[in-house]
Amino acid sequence: MRKIKATIVFLVLILTVTACGIGGSDSQSLTVYSGRSEEFIGPFLADFETESGVTLNIRYGDSAELAAQILEEGENSPADIFISQDAGALGAVAQAGLLKKLPNELLSQVPATFRASSGQWVVLTGRARVFAYNPKTVTALPTSIDDLTDPSWSSKIGIAPTNASFQAFVTALRIIRGDEAAKNWLDKIVANSPKLFEKNSQIVEAIDAGQIQLGLVNHYYTWEVSKALGREINVVNGFFGPGDAGNLINVSGAGVFNTSKNQSLANKLIEYLLTEKTQKRFVSETHEYSVLPNVTSPASQPTLKEIGAPIVNLDSLKDLKQTQELLIKVGLL
Amino acid sequence: MIAIAAIPLLYLIKRGSEIDRASLTNLLLRDRTIEIYTTTILLASIVLLFSFIVGSTFAWLIHNVTLPFGSLPIILSVLPLAIPSYVLTYAWISIYPGFNGFWAAVLVLTLSTSPYVTLVAVASLRRIDFTQVEAGRSLGLSQLAVLRRVIWPQMRVSLSAGLLLVFLYVLSDFGAVSLLGVNTFTRNIYTMYRATFDRNGAAVISLALILLAMFIIALEFRLRGRRTVIKSNAGIVKTHIKISVGWLRWPLLTLIFTYALLALGVPFWVLTTRFIQNTESIDISSLISATFSTVIASFAGATLAMVFALPLGILLARRSGFIPKLAESSILLTHALPGVVIGLALVALSSKFPWIYQTLPVLAFAYALLFLAKAVGSIRASLQRIAPILHDVSETLGITGLAAFRRVTLPLAAPGILIGFLLVLLTAMKELPATLMLRPTGYETLATEIWAATSISKFNEAAPYALVLIIIAAIPTFILTRPDKSDSQAQSEGLIQ
Repeated sequence: MRKIKATIVFLVLILTVTACGIGGSDSQSLTVYSGRSEEFIGPFLADFETESGVTLNIRYGDSAELAAQILEEGENSPADIFISQDAGALGAVAQAGLLKKLPNELLSQVPATFRASSGQWVVLTGRARVFAYNPKTVTALPTSIDDLTDPSWSSKIGIAPTNASFQAFVTALRIIRGDEAAKNWLDKIVANSPKLFEKNSQIVEAIDAGQIQLGLVNHYYTWEVSKALGREINVVNGFFGPGDAGNLINVSGAGVFNTSKNQSLANKLIEYLLTEKTQKRFVSETHEYSVLPNVTSPASQPTLKEIGAPIVNLDSLKDLKQTQELLIKVGLL
Repeated sequence: MIAIAAIPLLYLIKRGSEIDRASLTNLLLRDRTIEIYTTTILLASIVLLFSFIVGSTFAWLIHNVTLPFGSLPIILSVLPLAIPSYVLTYAWISIYPGFNGFWAAVLVLTLSTSPYVTLVAVASLRRIDFTQVEAGRSLGLSQLAVLRRVIWPQMRVSLSAGLLLVFLYVLSDFGAVSLLGVNTFTRNIYTMYRATFDRNGAAVISLALILLAMFIIALEFRLRGRRTVIKSNAGIVKTHIKISVGWLRWPLLTLIFTYALLALGVPFWVLTTRFIQNTESIDISSLISATFSTVIASFAGATLAMVFALPLGILLARRSGFIPKLAESSILLTHALPGVVIGLALVALSSKFPWIYQTLPVLAFAYALLFLAKAVGSIRASLQRIAPILHDVSETLGITGLAAFRRVTLPLAAPGILIGFLLVLLTAMKELPATLMLRPTGYETLATEIWAATSISKFNEAAPYALVLIIIAAIPTFILTRPDKSDSQAQSEGLIQ
């Protein structure tokens, strides 16, 4: 009984202390909801804090779950800025009218393909869809995703159908070729009995281990897996021909909330993330593509121009519903 | 109290009612939904059956047979409670890369849920007074008849409550089914949020899940029956004598060891090798602060759960009728919902109050709400087996109101309070989805750190956090396996003579 009483007293104390600690946001602080993981964005945000003297309260989460949370919060959101790992989550929040149009001088820093048509959010970094392959066993490289439907690839390919990046690629395929043709391609791929994975990194590991020869992934996983395994791996990236849907560029981006009381400060953070200095660090440290035309591509990778990514409106990548229904229909989900 | 438990339900009804009729029928009647219904029911029923077999066999062995190594068998069969299902699943996938699909999920979920059955079965076996068994035998009943007429009626209530928890656990589990690609309701709900940000559709699917849970809860109410066995005294007059089985005890022990190998050995092996392989240096300060955050938040959640659970448990043990049943059902229904739904319901409600939104009290409240069923169940079980007449007798002796509560009810409920507290503590430590949404900004727990590392495939970096989580979760689990001393205590305190 005494223990229970002591526990209650202890609890009340904790609650009071935390309640006092929170609240009272001064003007020199920003609340950031980040769907990008701390590993990839944390160091950059920390540098912004030191350089600007602004305190950032950063809440890390899954981009889509954060979007659902933001939609629930609506006008009451304590967040000033939303950084997302993909276009879809930002698009959903923008569509709900929760993001403010960014100032033109900020938007004009990036090419038109790297901002929402509404101007409510802007791209921070890009990652290319590639085919990762084992250079020892794969000699004739595919030039189009259609080459992969050839029976010679049977049981040699790895894909991750539940992964958001793969689903974005299928969405792009639907937009470029139409639903019927997209289904046709997926059916043929399924007939080639691909190995299914949950994560991109597992595909790259499987190529390295010789279980499969080629996989559809994002370009930076060759670095990630090599680093995680602590050695060189037997996997390199390849690109399809220019304009092929398999070369889609997925993006991370950021937008500022309508309800934010610190919008100019939030704009400053986005501006910082778009400076040439920060963008160069994104390229060298996270191996992603910069949105600035004059910043070079990640080591030994072709430039965005050379890749010739398909032109897909970022806003159209928002709704994955039909894509998922298609994937269910062909038996991949 | 009912109002508190009804928050998520009201939220779902509000969201669900915003959907238009056409997409509603499309959503509910398409083949896919029926397929999901079937998968979910099959998965939960098979896991229920297996964990009943494993749990009750182990409980019988532990209680009735002289096994070597003292309390090691019970510790090994209950300790898997400390391992989050996502960690267990991940470990299995990493030692056996083709591990996937329905039967893989059956295995993982059976391994993680059978401790619930073992725990309640052992506890109720321990409470059985051996004089009743002897009386039955002396009146000419066979062994089997004693089992059926004396032992089973006393175990039925808590065993069926334990099995219900198993069923609801499977309904709301996300970690195992998502990694293994089994399309249950919970996985479907997550996919809807992730792919289409369709909160209304997800609410409708959640309500369908609720419907299924309601049916199961009603079934359990029937199975439990109206008659409960009560005793005239709170103590155990005579404890039973264990059977000595000679060399047979070794193969029997092997059963428990095999289970422990699958449920504990596999995750420990994988985490330890990952831990050793980890090339990045461990951030000790974040490890320590995440440990403290986990302990503080789950402790606060468990305490709050007990504050809500005590009056409810007393109500449910004393009265039957519509209101208590309604209260119990709504608590149980909440338990069937995936964490993301409870999380969003509380986001919708608490974000209206900026001074409390994303603070520790709201997180603690979320834990209390999510796991209230565990707390209420154990309090009710410990009160229900005592004659209500005790309370009446105390009143005739002039002990009334608060004094009666303090001197009669509370001591009797104490073991239930402790068990409930520990169960909530244990589960709250592992909770992820609601924690991600409701924790104070910047407040990282072990579960969120594990998530942060695994979400970008840094499994090696997640290993130290997972190991610490298992180690601290093992502490309440150890306490849970200790014999229930309260019976003899209650007697020695001279409550009943």
